[in-house]
Amino acid sequence: MASNKKYWKSVEELNENSSIVEKLRQNEFAEDLPTDQFLGDKETLESSSTSRRDFLKYVGFTTAAASLAACEGPVVKSIPYVIKPNEVTPGVADYYATSIADGYDFANVLVKVREGRPIKIEPNKLAKINGTTNARVQASILSLYDNNRLQNPRVKGEPVNWSAFEKGLSSKLNELKANGEAIVFLTGTTASPTTNKLIQDYKAIYANVQHITYDAVSDSGALDAFQAMYGERALPDYDFSKAAVIVSIDADFLADWQGGGFEVGYAKGRVPNHGKMSRHVQFESNMSLTGANADKRYMIKPSEQAQVLLNIYNAITGNGAAKKTSVDAGIQKVVKQLKAAGSNAIVVTGLQDKNAQLVALAINKAIQSKAVDTASPRYVRSGNDSKVVQLVADMKAGKVGALLTVDTNPAYSLVGFADAMKKVKLSVAFAMSEDETASASQYVAAIPHYLESWGDVNIKKGQFGLIQPTIKPLFNTRQFQDVLLNLMGSNQSYYDYLKTYWNSTVLRGKSWNQALHDGIATRAATSVASTPINEDKSIKNKINDVSAASALAASIKGSDLELSLYTKVSMGSGLMANNPWLQELPDPITRTTWDNYLLISRVDAEAKGLKNWTVSNGALNGDKVNVTVNGVTIENVPVFIQPGQAPGSVALALGYGRSKGVNANMNIGVNAYPLYQNFNTHQAVSIKKVEGVHKFACVQLQHTIMGREEEITKETTLAEFVSKPKSEWNTPPHVSQDHQLVGIDKIDLWEKFDDTIGTKFNLSIDLATCTGCAACVISCHAENNVPVVGKKEIRVSRDMHWLRIDRYYTSDMTVEKGKEEGIYGSGGFFEAQTHPSDNPEVAFQPVMCQHCDHAPCETVCPVAATSHGRQGQNHMAYNRCIGTRYCANNCPYKVRRFNWFKYFDNKEFDFNMNNDLGKMVLNPDVVVRSRGVMEKCSMCIQMTQATILKAKKEGRPVKDGEFETACTNACSTGALAFGDVNDPESKITALKEDDRTFKLLEFVGTKPNVFYQLDVRNTNEA
Amino acid sequence: MKSVNQHRKPLRLFLSSLIFILFFTMQLFAQDGNAKNGKKIFNANCAACHKLDARLVGPPLKGVTEKRTKEWLFSWIKDSKALIESGDADAIAIFEEYNKIPMTGYSDFSDQDLADVLAYTDDKPVKDASGTSGAATAASLGIDSLQVVKGKKIFNANCAACHKLDAKLVGPPLANIADKRSADWLKLWIRDNGALRASGDADAIAIFDEYNGSPMTAFPELKDADIEALIAFTSHASILEAKAKTGDTEVSNVAEVASIPWATYLVLLVVVLFTIWVYFISGNGFLKLMMTIAILIATGYFLYAWLMGIGVDQGYKPIQPIAFSHKIHAGDNKIDCQYCHSNAKHSKLSGIPSVNVCMNCHKSIAEYTGPVTEERDKVFYDGEIQKIYDAIGWDKEKLTYIEGYKQKPIEWVRIHNLPDFAYYNHSQHVTVAGLECQTCHGPVEEMDEVEQFSPLTMGWCIECHKKTELKVESNGYYAKIHEELSKKYGVKKVTVAQMGGRECGKCHY
Repeated sequence: MASNKKYWKSVEELNENSSIVEKLRQNEFAEDLPTDQFLGDKETLESSSTSRRDFLKYVGFTTAAASLAACEGPVVKSIPYVIKPNEVTPGVADYYATSIADGYDFANVLVKVREGRPIKIEPNKLAKINGTTNARVQASILSLYDNNRLQNPRVKGEPVNWSAFEKGLSSKLNELKANGEAIVFLTGTTASPTTNKLIQDYKAIYANVQHITYDAVSDSGALDAFQAMYGERALPDYDFSKAAVIVSIDADFLADWQGGGFEVGYAKGRVPNHGKMSRHVQFESNMSLTGANADKRYMIKPSEQAQVLLNIYNAITGNGAAKKTSVDAGIQKVVKQLKAAGSNAIVVTGLQDKNAQLVALAINKAIQSKAVDTASPRYVRSGNDSKVVQLVADMKAGKVGALLTVDTNPAYSLVGFADAMKKVKLSVAFAMSEDETASASQYVAAIPHYLESWGDVNIKKGQFGLIQPTIKPLFNTRQFQDVLLNLMGSNQSYYDYLKTYWNSTVLRGKSWNQALHDGIATRAATSVASTPINEDKSIKNKINDVSAASALAASIKGSDLELSLYTKVSMGSGLMANNPWLQELPDPITRTTWDNYLLISRVDAEAKGLKNWTVSNGALNGDKVNVTVNGVTIENVPVFIQPGQAPGSVALALGYGRSKGVNANMNIGVNAYPLYQNFNTHQAVSIKKVEGVHKFACVQLQHTIMGREEEITKETTLAEFVSKPKSEWNTPPHVSQDHQLVGIDKIDLWEKFDDTIGTKFNLSIDLATCTGCAACVISCHAENNVPVVGKKEIRVSRDMHWLRIDRYYTSDMTVEKGKEEGIYGSGGFFEAQTHPSDNPEVAFQPVMCQHCDHAPCETVCPVAATSHGRQGQNHMAYNRCIGTRYCANNCPYKVRRFNWFKYFDNKEFDFNMNNDLGKMVLNPDVVVRSRGVMEKCSMCIQMTQATILKAKKEGRPVKDGEFETACTNACSTGALAFGDVNDPESKITALKEDDRTFKLLEFVGTKPNVFYQLDVRNTNEA
Repeated sequence: MKSVNQHRKPLRLFLSSLIFILFFTMQLFAQDGNAKNGKKIFNANCAACHKLDARLVGPPLKGVTEKRTKEWLFSWIKDSKALIESGDADAIAIFEEYNKIPMTGYSDFSDQDLADVLAYTDDKPVKDASGTSGAATAASLGIDSLQVVKGKKIFNANCAACHKLDAKLVGPPLANIADKRSADWLKLWIRDNGALRASGDADAIAIFDEYNGSPMTAFPELKDADIEALIAFTSHASILEAKAKTGDTEVSNVAEVASIPWATYLVLLVVVLFTIWVYFISGNGFLKLMMTIAILIATGYFLYAWLMGIGVDQGYKPIQPIAFSHKIHAGDNKIDCQYCHSNAKHSKLSGIPSVNVCMNCHKSIAEYTGPVTEERDKVFYDGEIQKIYDAIGWDKEKLTYIEGYKQKPIEWVRIHNLPDFAYYNHSQHVTVAGLECQTCHGPVEEMDEVEQFSPLTMGWCIECHKKTELKVESNGYYAKIHEELSKKYGVKKVTVAQMGGRECGKCHY
């Protein structure tokens, strides 16, 4: 039974003597009001020349002045168009289909445009394959309105106009051409057939031209392996829904592994269907999002991962003998399951090594895995490490005449690149901001954001997407492709070029307008797009996986302490470092914002005398270390003790520490790229404690549920779920009445709320398919104008997220295990459950306002600012709120957020809401809250009302599936679902009746309109 | 706040209460037709269609009692339709003369009200009777006035889109066209100019070529009499207008009731003297106490009223960059509100029309031809129309848009400023509920300058939501929910509030 488990959020909670935890349980607002700041000390106060009487006079005067001033409203202008475009109706949103392809994230998306201004990114549900959005894609809208963007092209730091820029550049290039110097285009992965074709065209004119693709976080090993085995430089596609057994060795496939986007298929296998669900085993060193979702997670050091892979390979193919590892028992079980599942199994690895990837491919080939699609591979990574290394060497040797970097920032992410750039005769950067590379370049071309550009993307073989502008360029920018066409002397625009290419290659008679409308086009996989990057096909099929395995075995080299470099779901490779939404997004695992840090296991931390501790207001502090890899040292890296981190290993996130092209308040964390040597995410490392304390902005201990964590989330095992009745694993809550236990539905303080007429909204959250990816959090931010508050405020528990994803750790000590070990029933069992387990299981639980029918917040509001609607939504009238915060205190779920400050037009909060450009992202249908009022999830009432109004205007009932909220819209796995429970045919009604359904703290009797489906773990090891 | 043209509220409140007192006293003297009251009623009810000294929609009313008897006028005003139907010759003649536009009936007026109005219209008899009516002028010139009026009607309905009298538009100017072409030729041309050209008529081909080879629409349905009326109109229209204008120069000069200031002072003086007497002379403790209570109550009342008025901008009438008159557009010319405010059907915003919407009509209307006043004469209105052209870059001589013109949007002053925290959706009220714009915005078609008609306070919204019934007919959305709700509340038709239109979150999010 679920409640036999003990859940905790932070190791601190397990310390029985912690006064802080107790304090936080008793008192939500842990910090006293900082009255000293404005009252000062007594002495100064007494010696002040302002007497009490003066003070009262001033108060009286200002009150009178303020009320007099309030009599006259300001004059508001209302300025219509001179000529209104036909497609624009002020107040009504238009949607455009486009695609994001920034070199790291690739997706087909819909853009919501209000009065010509994009305000929200949504998944393109027409695209069955790549139409999902992660947190970064959702947040990319804010990067459009980044006030650090380049507004003009520049030559040697001076702004120039485009014709001067192109003329100057053209003559320089012609000069270099005449001298026979090499011209190099360095791009990120474009996955754009048209851009690649254009560079090919350019090559035809300028002979000595090279196009090199550089991925900041490289998947070159996997690309090399696939090319070696299947002849094409691409990545295999995986459909995890077809896999009954999933074995992952350090592949964070629910996050950014190989371009991401696999969660949709994975989630399909995670809901028990006729008693079956997938079994997911993860071998990894740092706690990844994928590891957190696994049924069984083994902690191993990075160097051991290759051996685990080899042992599995050997056992499956019988090619060699196993070598001893620390998890042999686990491997044996896994192999048994893999063999039993046969072609319904899959093995994936995140090891950045060609041989390791070859071995993984060989295993899948050997078991004939149905989940691997090698016929239609993906093109979302194409960087070639060896060519990049060669380029840097050439540059240093002065062999490169011109270097054109396109929307990529190697000077930040590649060690030695900035120095090598100095040896290049002509450096040109096509960049959106004055980043590290642009500031080191002679020519800087200001390029538009993808929402202002034309383009195309070929994410997967046969699957094409178009990129179209959704707003007139905000600045004097020009696309790389247009500049290139001009340099070639063509008078064609890139739009015409793109259209011509598409008509002849992709569409072949199909409608261009239809493709533009849909944002996608498909073409039979047989007609291979000419991907010019695949030059080397000679080694096809010559590869022998046995030799790869032995090469891999030979390469294994352990060390005392090993570092693995990873990317966070928020920051990724660091492209959008200047995006405050992403910076403030709590990491799903560490729940920490505005930082990267060295993750370390408890064992290692104790051995090295490193500590994390919680200070009186609930904030987290930590020691700092210097991290050294191969003589490269990064100083003052904060240490974060992470349960589940393999002893002997540490981990550090890439993408932080951007110093140029970002606002000062976004220049945070440390740049870990100098440690990313030879494009290897695993490095031998040494650390040394240094003086100083780091202050984290961690929301981990915040908003504790008043000591009720034990009962808040539920999970069960597949075995129990299948074999036992619901009452065993999803016990409905009981309360005591007249010394008798009765069901919660039998007893109530309030009268029943009549909710049978009309629409009644319910939100369902399936914990089995929720991966904790946090796309919903950003979507909620964008839809509801949730402010960014900054690191300092987060640290003092003043985060404003309407939707948080709670992460609970739980020990693997279950009743069965307790009985086996003979400690069940004794105090030792409880000890074992609550001891800070070093490899905890993880449960994610998105929590937003539960919209209780019997809401405790409503009854305590002295001004009735929060009230209940018949449709089930708990309304919050900001203009009525006087800020007593009684409601927040009385909320058992801790979902209400208080505006401690005015977060817009306030230089203390210099984020997007403090400048005119950044404010363009605000949703005009949702009010921007002012200081001193409470706010919370509204169940996107502006969206539900709009849906109802649409139906009313069309004179028809609302269809099932029409109602959406920002979070359900963004959820790619379908874990979040929303609808009308008074419609007996609706999906949500079926979900409500599901056996797995439970409500949060149901015994409190609040009757929430949000319900959860408990998580099921497949613990079958045979 | 320089461009805001409105009274300070406390002052207005004070004045209005005084005027009320004054009025109350003056009412006692009003025995036989109170001109002051009459003016008020006239302005509120008649001024939309009548002027004292010039034609508008209806005839000028100055000295109307000299033409018609009081009894006739009373029955006409109360129900002109009934009078016409009864066969009254005068009534029918007026009806015919004014394009068969029936006058609104004012059956709810008391005889006293009507007497007041007539007292007002008689206040200063007209000096120049000849200028009062276009028809009268025409008659004096020996023209069949009815024919001219008919011709004007036909012209406006069929020709005005492409022709003006005195200037080129799409086609040639038509004033005095009969001097150039024969009536027979014109009849042929108007009914089927293509056939005329095909027949090889030199004049017809010449005109066709002159106007860029765009053929004129054929009007085979026009009868001989119609075309003759048209010709009569084109020949005499200019004379008529010139005459009509001379009549307009007479300006109404009703004596303002100059008594307001002194009466006010008098009342104030009495109150002050009485107060002084009570406190300092009378020595009556009880009176003093009562006076103090009265003063406190009065202060409290005015203070409360003043405080409640803060932020309520009812009557807000800012000066706009263009003296756009809704009265001319929506009232006189009967343009549908949603022709310009087309957003209201679809969006939460009603939308201020973009300049290109103005140009739909003002491409061909470069001059103002309606009634004028001293402050707002033709030159003034033409200047205002020119502002549209300046915004969009229209050359009214060449009738083309100016190439490469730097367009500048018109910066209107927003009148209805709902606070950010209140969500209001026009389409909900216009499309779903089928409300008239006037319900909230007042008689905009009578306003030269638009002002905020409703207080736009929450109480005002709620009041309407409480008593307005849903418009559920033929709306599939309401079919089920309305049936259930009406059963629950035991009513036939559910109000907006019962549907949930009083829940906070429906408007505040």
